[in-house]
Amino acid sequence: MTKSKLLLPLVAAALMASAGVAAAKEYTIGISNTVQGNGWREEMICAMKAQALASGEVSKLNIAHRNTDAAGQLEDVRNLISAGVDAIVVNPADPAGINAALKEATDKGIVVVAVDQAVTEPSAYVISNNQEEYAYLGAKWLFQQMGGKGGVVYMRGAAGASADSDRDKGFKRALAEFPDVKVVHEVFTGWQQDQGKQQILDFSATGTPYQGIWTSGIDNVIVDALVESQAPLVPVVGADNAGFVGQLTSVEGLKGAAVTNPGSIGGAGVALALQILDGKKPDSKLVLVNPELWENATDEGKAKLKAAADPSLSPEWPVSISIPGWTTYTKDQIVACKGPGE
Amino acid sequence: MIRLIRRNAWVAGLCVLFILLAVTTKLIQPDYGAGDFGSLMRAVLPYAFAVAAQTVVVIAGGIDLSVAAMMAVTSVTAAAMMNGASESHALFVVPFVLALGLCLGALNGFLIVWTRVPDIVVTLSTLFVFQGVALLILDAPGGGAAEWLKGLVVGTVPIPFLPESVTAWIPKALIVLVICLAVVWIPLRRSQLGLSIYAIGSSELAAFRSGVSVARTKIAAYAIGGLFAAMGGLSLTLSTGIGAPIPGPYLLASVAAVVLGGVALGGGKGGLLGPIIAVIVLRLVRTDLTLLAVDPNATTIIEGLIMVIVVMLGAFLAMRGRTR
Repeated sequence: MTKSKLLLPLVAAALMASAGVAAAKEYTIGISNTVQGNGWREEMICAMKAQALASGEVSKLNIAHRNTDAAGQLEDVRNLISAGVDAIVVNPADPAGINAALKEATDKGIVVVAVDQAVTEPSAYVISNNQEEYAYLGAKWLFQQMGGKGGVVYMRGAAGASADSDRDKGFKRALAEFPDVKVVHEVFTGWQQDQGKQQILDFSATGTPYQGIWTSGIDNVIVDALVESQAPLVPVVGADNAGFVGQLTSVEGLKGAAVTNPGSIGGAGVALALQILDGKKPDSKLVLVNPELWENATDEGKAKLKAAADPSLSPEWPVSISIPGWTTYTKDQIVACKGPGE
Repeated sequence: MIRLIRRNAWVAGLCVLFILLAVTTKLIQPDYGAGDFGSLMRAVLPYAFAVAAQTVVVIAGGIDLSVAAMMAVTSVTAAAMMNGASESHALFVVPFVLALGLCLGALNGFLIVWTRVPDIVVTLSTLFVFQGVALLILDAPGGGAAEWLKGLVVGTVPIPFLPESVTAWIPKALIVLVICLAVVWIPLRRSQLGLSIYAIGSSELAAFRSGVSVARTKIAAYAIGGLFAAMGGLSLTLSTGIGAPIPGPYLLASVAAVVLGGVALGGGKGGLLGPIIAVIVLRLVRTDLTLLAVDPNATTIIEGLIMVIVVMLGAFLAMRGRTR
């Protein structure tokens, strides 16, 4: 009796000490994503896995990755809360629609980081590519190439996604600076390759003239469509997807620019979540990564494109597979797409 | 008691399956508690109403492919009407949206009866029509919901004479679900209309010769389906606080749960309890797969396999029961 009384606090202390050590190095991170089968999102997931592995601080990833709506994401986030994760990294289906579950998570002391798109829940951190700047940079370059006049085809992303509405702000800001540029066709690609290609073919068939195409990242299939239908190659702006970057250096007569929109932002989200768990909170709840523009109209731009081109990647993957200052994994790790314990 | 179980063997089997899964969940995650069960019930809510809508139509010998699209229309209508409106305005919105669902469903039924085009074709075309209508109402996710409506499915309510440890396991979402389904289903089941729905599902000709108005019954069955779909749409709006015009994954889920719930796809057989328990089972499977951190690309395969195995096993047991 006395012996066990003596032992008990010792055992408890030992347990607590080991738990303390374990908590410092053995985090579980939950991930929720609602678009499956899209190159950009797949790179994002792989970046999350690679960063978790490279950090050495994550023992397990719980990934809820399927095609669903905001209500489905509420379910996934709540399941991750039930799983007892330390942090949740989420690419939100809607800026406001999943707030209830995110609030429940932060109330339980779970660190919540939204990547790629913002959420309006104030207790969550957001790390995102600067989407407004993304659209402004590309659109401004495009309108300059068009000589400040003519018709532009405006191929947007998914209706209602906050990344799309932010990009719309940037596009409209550039448009306001060029009063002679008119939008001749505006369409939502839903960020689907097949859909975007069909839409540009349908529009070309109407015979309406246009002098430039701005895309929200559904880019290489648009160039394919122009080449296949032998339509005039107007300047095209897209994202830094490997296929499009390759086309900018190889397709004869194509003028265009790639604006960086790294899917590796997912890895940065995991890195941020781990920093916060380790007690290093950023000054602001919103961290923005600024885009770059690589064009093939000048020699300087061509050199940048050449350096960035990476034919070893899937054509739908953005070539910026890492974000300096945030991600620490190697190219082999992200391409392998393996998380801790896999 | 034994007779009762034997008569409801399929439902009893599903209950056993649910209990097994619940035990598995507790084993995987020892901290799984009342709060997590509340989350499960909130996730179940839109699926359960979609399944209820499909069940009524399938029992009547039809199929409704426009369930998810009707949910989208009613959800965006509710969200658009409540956007920026006062809290009391929602008191008017809820009955309006329910009536809208009833009308959309009745329209399905009317088109099937009037044009004599097969129901699978009619509801497939109304699926596209309703999708377009939802986008016309809201071209992107948005709108709002009254706070009291959102609060309707959050947390628990104290029930007299029950200790808190028990009421914690009876989340509001479950109470709302049971009340909404019971208010429609129990009177229906006991009425002449309910009997007629089963009759036309078993054999339209026999029902007609027994003096049942097949046309009127069919329209009523689709209308009740629409009413349940509207409840589903409302549950989407009040769980997310917005309306989304693109339909969610509720159509296939509703058919899956109807099959798993022991309702014959040919019509005339089954009840509402089976499909509802089936849908809870399917959501709990999803929870377990997330808790186990199963490769997300494999989860849908596992969900599909579980369904096939359960239905096959059920059919096998039923066959053995008959031959004996």
